[in-house]
Amino acid sequence: MPGQAVFYVTIGAMVVIAAATMLTGLYGSKVRSTSDFLVASRTLGSRWNAAAISGEYLSAASFLGIAGLVLKGGVDALWYPVGFTAGYLALLLFVAAPLRRSGVYTLPDFAEARLGSVGLRRVCTIFVIVIGWLYLVPQMQGAGLTLHAVTGEPKWVGAAVVMVIVTLNIYTGWMRSITIVQAFQYWIKLTALAIPVFVLLIHNAGEKPGVRGSLGASALPHFSHAADITLDHDVVLEVAAPMVVNAVGNEDGRFANGTVYWAPGEHRVAKNTRLHFDAGSRTPVIRGAVLDNDKWLRPLGSGSHPLLATYSLIVALLLGTMGLPHVLGRYYTDPDGRAARRTTLLVLSLLGVFYLFPMVSGWLARLYVPELLVNGNTDAALLLLPRAALGGWPGLLLGGLIAAGAFAAFVSAATGLVVSIAGVLSTDVLPSRLRDFRAATAAAWTVPLAFVLAVSSLDLAQGVGLAFAVAASSFCPLLVLGIWWRGLTDVGAAAGILAGGGLAFATVLPAAAGVLPPGWQTLLAQPAVFTVPLAFLTMVVVSKRTTDRIPVDVSRILLRLHAPDRLGLSEDRDLDQMAPRSGMVALPRMRGGRHRR
Amino acid sequence: MSTTERVGGVGTPPPVDPWAAAHTSTDFAMLRQRFRGFVFPMTAFFLSWYLLYVVLAAFAPHYMAIKIVGNVNIGLIFGLLQFVSTFAITTVYVQFASRNLDPLSSQICKRVEGGVW
Repeated sequence: MPGQAVFYVTIGAMVVIAAATMLTGLYGSKVRSTSDFLVASRTLGSRWNAAAISGEYLSAASFLGIAGLVLKGGVDALWYPVGFTAGYLALLLFVAAPLRRSGVYTLPDFAEARLGSVGLRRVCTIFVIVIGWLYLVPQMQGAGLTLHAVTGEPKWVGAAVVMVIVTLNIYTGWMRSITIVQAFQYWIKLTALAIPVFVLLIHNAGEKPGVRGSLGASALPHFSHAADITLDHDVVLEVAAPMVVNAVGNEDGRFANGTVYWAPGEHRVAKNTRLHFDAGSRTPVIRGAVLDNDKWLRPLGSGSHPLLATYSLIVALLLGTMGLPHVLGRYYTDPDGRAARRTTLLVLSLLGVFYLFPMVSGWLARLYVPELLVNGNTDAALLLLPRAALGGWPGLLLGGLIAAGAFAAFVSAATGLVVSIAGVLSTDVLPSRLRDFRAATAAAWTVPLAFVLAVSSLDLAQGVGLAFAVAASSFCPLLVLGIWWRGLTDVGAAAGILAGGGLAFATVLPAAAGVLPPGWQTLLAQPAVFTVPLAFLTMVVVSKRTTDRIPVDVSRILLRLHAPDRLGLSEDRDLDQMAPRSGMVALPRMRGGRHRR
Repeated sequence: MSTTERVGGVGTPPPVDPWAAAHTSTDFAMLRQRFRGFVFPMTAFFLSWYLLYVVLAAFAPHYMAIKIVGNVNIGLIFGLLQFVSTFAITTVYVQFASRNLDPLSSQICKRVEGGVW
């Protein structure tokens, strides 16, 4: 298939989706007041809102990352989708309804309304921005990867394209329409993934048994057809059984040009080396991936501290969801706690249906694109799968559909994040609100862009996992204790956020850069299992020592959070009239009697 | 902690404050009790259910590798059940809240709005 055709089909599909997104955005852009602008209208209903939450939530990690992880790690990767969905259960049980009743819709607003401290608000602001940036990086990486995989453009081009689309969308669409846009995006993503996976499954079922091999018992993954692979970075490959490979380049520290014998064990292969595998030869796999198919089908077959790392990941995903700035804001669109519950249930169904497809495609990828296990670009699995399995025009068209759907994933997740970051930047960092929202939007991109240009090695799903770890170690304790424990003080909350979130962030950076020794890498690459308890503990201990700083009206505030929904309705009217420095207006009854020491 | 019990700050006459009355009412106490009676055990349940999967996978891999149908083994079924259970718990909670929490809370609402307290 000519490269030109691949290029045009993919770009065509992307343009169609981008245009549809912008049109949907323009459709609802008649916005008058500030509260419309940031909160979106309440007229859309649970179904729209649930699709919007799902659309925004299904990011690069969900769309490409999980398929890549399933290809590489097998059933272990089930933890990502399970954790991504279970996070909404924790959010629903502990946070959704009380937060909705409080009338605030950003985390800094909540912190200030609950504990009456401007200092704490600043700490929260910093963490909203940090988490948003951490989460933006994999979206931009994913966009770069997608464009690179289909057109060969350098990786920064895809990131730049996403930036432009998202910025235009925010400048023209505002938030009301963004609810519609995000809902629309969910259905685009589901379609773009479901159709190719169904076609591939039918194709696979129709193939002669034995041609592709099966995933059963002791079979090692192997090439069903001859493969030429040029490595775009240094890799360490694990070889299970003796094999012969044709290599041109640098292999195990010496120059190779021709047939090379590989004994079982690890082999270093340098960047730009070309490897040729004959049809039927076994696939060596990149270090960290699971070697044989049997182990691949079993949970926890990989890694050096599998139990700890897996549980740490679960903690991060389960508790991190409630701390994601762009997720919480969406719940404010629901008129009351009852609607918030209904929305959550719908979100879980929508996510559950969606996640079936990346899991299945990870399995298909192990059959059809084993070369990704050699060069380590497992995140590209979904993108390359249709062309490898089907070939010809069907493969081309379905590949284009997946690439365009992936782009939709990056655009919608990035939109929500940039709106959240820009919202916080313009309220708390820049002066004079509406006028500066556009400047804040531009500012929101700077750091992640720099990070994308600097770091390239991280798996998409792992990158997102780090954002979850920081969120779980900072905002989860603040929300849970703030809503359920009257003894929390501003000093305690700030200390807990800085200790837990700060430590998580401090371990995230070296882990992302990949400079840690292997033993530490597993432990620190997913720090939630020790940073979350640390944050809770610090909050409780410091609060106990500063009981004189408990807000005097704590009873009133807690009652407000747990009282029946309809009692909160008056606040919404306040909010409609006033610009959302919302913590200032949304809890009018909480503002009196505040301590100032 | 004693100062924190004062509601409404200095100068608000406590007897006419509907919030304080609602807070101390038996209805509100029951609302809280019902909520906690559901949420806390359920949380303990789903956390241990997730932990069970991880622990089994780590310490009983042979059990998890038992094949049921074709290549589908217990571990895989267990993994998929995690999804099902998350969804089931949410469904149960939504029904519980509509049946047991909402009627009570709208009763409290009516009283506050009607000035009963």
